[in-house]
Amino acid sequence: MDAYVEKDAVEMSDDGRRPPEDPPVAPVGSEGTGTAPGAGIMALSLPYQVVAAVALAAVGVFACVHLAMVFLHVAPSNTLTKRHGEAVSDWIYPEFEQNWKLFAPNPLQANISVEVRAELAGADGGRRTTGWIDLTAQDIAAIRHNPMPSHAQQNQLRRAVDFYLNTHTDDNRPNGSRGAFAEQYIRRIAMFRLETLRGPEGRTLGPDVRRIQLRTVSRTVPAARWSTEKTRTTPSYRDLPWWTVTRADRPADAVTSRTEAGR
Amino acid sequence: MSTSTATSARAREPFDRRLARGVQTVTGRPLAPYQSAIVRIGFSLTWLLFLLRELPHRHQLYGPDGPWSWELAQRLIADNRAFTVLLWSDGRIWFEVVYGLAVVSAALLLVGWRTRAVSVVFMVGVLSLLNRSVFVGDGGDNVLHIVSIYLVFTRCGRVWSLDARRAAREDRAARAGEPARRDVVGPLLWVVLGGFLLAATWFSDVSGEWWVPVLLWVLWLGNGLWWLVCRIAPGEPRTLLDVLANLAHNAVLVVIMAEVCLIYATAGWYKIQGSRWQEGTALFYPLHLDYFSPWPALSELLGASGVMVMLLSYGTVIVQVAFPFTLFNRRVKNVLLVAMMLEHAGIAVLLGLPVFSLAMISADAVFLPTAFLVWLGARVAAGRDRLLGRAPAGTLPEQRRTAEEHGPRTLVG
Repeated sequence: MDAYVEKDAVEMSDDGRRPPEDPPVAPVGSEGTGTAPGAGIMALSLPYQVVAAVALAAVGVFACVHLAMVFLHVAPSNTLTKRHGEAVSDWIYPEFEQNWKLFAPNPLQANISVEVRAELAGADGGRRTTGWIDLTAQDIAAIRHNPMPSHAQQNQLRRAVDFYLNTHTDDNRPNGSRGAFAEQYIRRIAMFRLETLRGPEGRTLGPDVRRIQLRTVSRTVPAARWSTEKTRTTPSYRDLPWWTVTRADRPADAVTSRTEAGR
Repeated sequence: MSTSTATSARAREPFDRRLARGVQTVTGRPLAPYQSAIVRIGFSLTWLLFLLRELPHRHQLYGPDGPWSWELAQRLIADNRAFTVLLWSDGRIWFEVVYGLAVVSAALLLVGWRTRAVSVVFMVGVLSLLNRSVFVGDGGDNVLHIVSIYLVFTRCGRVWSLDARRAAREDRAARAGEPARRDVVGPLLWVVLGGFLLAATWFSDVSGEWWVPVLLWVLWLGNGLWWLVCRIAPGEPRTLLDVLANLAHNAVLVVIMAEVCLIYATAGWYKIQGSRWQEGTALFYPLHLDYFSPWPALSELLGASGVMVMLLSYGTVIVQVAFPFTLFNRRVKNVLLVAMMLEHAGIAVLLGLPVFSLAMISADAVFLPTAFLVWLGARVAAGRDRLLGRAPAGTLPEQRRTAEEHGPRTLVG
């Protein structure tokens, strides 16, 4: 039976109906080109073959385990991850973390803007408050008609606000250990932007800022003309608390230049 | 037809023989050299373009005084243990050095100079910058982050690289009976990288997970061993090292392919659960998000027709969900591959995400057919020669192809 099969296979490749499926083991060139003369496990003597076989098994198992872990990481919560979630996280985080829920399950359906206002110390020692400054509008202006928007415009503020909202309760209390990071981050972004803005007298606002407040404005994307849906068109606001600006909130350049000026 | 008879002939072959042949295939040579090369070129180009584009914004995104300050990064990384060399120092010079090295490594990986060593530097650069500021990234950074780790294990410089050109030149010289030239650059690079590695180990309390330095040491020692074995024991030990390198390459190639499938499967299956994707209006919304509409008139135009939006929304979900299953059929796979690449090209322009799109296209490229890649390579080489006014050089890509054209028709080939 076996002999018959062998003969059959040989005949087929002989009369050329079958293209050679495997690379010729004959030398094509030395190192670097295709199958070098005497390459692969067949070219080894038994002790080396054992090493190669063990490596093959180890590599195979490792690849399968890794893929299983990645699968469990991207899959919804399930029986296995409920039981062994810790092991999956240990394997995946931090370097293989991934999230491919791109615009899923539903895309974001509102434009969320971040606005800031600042309390400034005047020369006379009095305080005055600026109007709301739309930071997101600065990003959008930079993105418009830009074939390659920067992460600094497309992601930084947008994701920082996301980070803040995800790590805080509705009354602005941190709901986990990362809340403090998110607050510090968004305060620094706001100050980073304010440093470059100029007041009516042409002076930069930055050094005069004593306190800041941020708010988010959420505007639902209006329904399409072809849609029968009714959407709420009034924006909804969420005020974050007033924060007193500290040295850690200011860009380092500003801090140094001020200390120098103070001397 | 011929494929089906071949398959049936193979099916009747005894199992142990097929197994042996399979083992020989995965140990004998790095499979899919063109696919791994295009992935290398794609991702290094993506990273290079990204770094150059962000040059004016680099301090704001990754610098020690950016909004995500060095102190904030340090506190977060003490918690999540990610790898980044940028925490070794909060100095501005160190930052510029790392950013500069990241640019250089991307350019060198692109042209395939000392590919293995450079791929390690490339990975260190990618991880260092992306882990330094995790909150400025998007899906493109995510896929680049993961693939940069995988690339280290592949022999992705076998074709379309300066390494391949050098190997072919040495090959010709050896056949002509000339004495082999002594390689100085390789050992020098090895020594320099060894110095960095010592530093990495010194600073390992701030360098993230334990396995990253271990991996770097294994690669460094492995390269040294390779050099040594080539000199003093070119027989079986050399073949064994070759087998190990092939095994790692082939396994990781499968991992990269599976990773791409998981990306599309996740993206597709989660969309199915969303009401907007079910009713076919989902695409309308990203087109009207200010952050993702650099060309509002174009977005408006595309979103103006409800039927168009529905067809594109449904098409996206269908293609993403179906893709992993089409790998069992070459022709359907290729059609979907083209569809996905076109879709990503569209996303690049419409949603203003060129870096993300280029990264995804590079990942998709692992599934391109060898025949197409060879054709593409020949066209590019011809174009280059015409541009430089050179006589078509019958150098290495043509010579190397012979071994590959007879490669097995796998999912990729």
